[in-house]
Amino acid sequence: MANTVIGSSITIDGEISGDEDLVIQGTVKGKISLKESLFVEASASVEADIEVQNVEITGKVTGNIAATDKVELKADCRVVGDVRAPRILIADGASFKGNVDMDVKER
Amino acid sequence: MANTDQINIIGKGITIRGSMTGGGGLVIEGRVEGQIALKNHLTIESSGIVEADIRADELTINGTASGNIDASTKVSINQSAKVNGDIKATRVVIEDGAVFNGSIEMDVKLPDDI
Repeated sequence: MANTVIGSSITIDGEISGDEDLVIQGTVKGKISLKESLFVEASASVEADIEVQNVEITGKVTGNIAATDKVELKADCRVVGDVRAPRILIADGASFKGNVDMDVKER
Repeated sequence: MANTDQINIIGKGITIRGSMTGGGGLVIEGRVEGQIALKNHLTIESSGIVEADIRADELTINGTASGNIDASTKVSINQSAKVNGDIKATRVVIEDGAVFNGSIEMDVKLPDDI
């Protein structure tokens, strides 16, 4: 599997886009837009607006997050920003500051 | 390169615009535009397209690269590679079949008796 991994020693300043899964362990500043899943791991530090299908966050994220499917804030993550997605999960132990918009169609 | 060095991969479906810096090895199979500064080995695979000024320790190119290259040890331009730009490195290898346009500056230390 040609999985894209941005390791802990790497810093990216700019824009990342694409149509495959992306794992971030390092530092990314700017903008991320993906058609697939994004994994922000514990060692990662992301300062970016994120537009993805799924995102799983264990590390630090500052920026607005918009997912077409699901946002998962794992225990020990630190997220500051607004989150918009149909499904949002926040685990016990996660730190989060921002708005949540689940965009659920009212019955 | 030590085994402990991690390998970072930019897959085929990924495009990065901006600057990338850091240590560890890096393999690019996708597209990178901007700047790359790396302390270790950079490999541009045959599917990789890089439009960036590159600084790295060692560089292996199988894909397409345009921009200036500054490597502290070696640049290998392999058979399937297409490279445009100026190269500065101690050692430069260009294989048969590779396409290269630009200048090469090797940091040659001439013997004293010349």
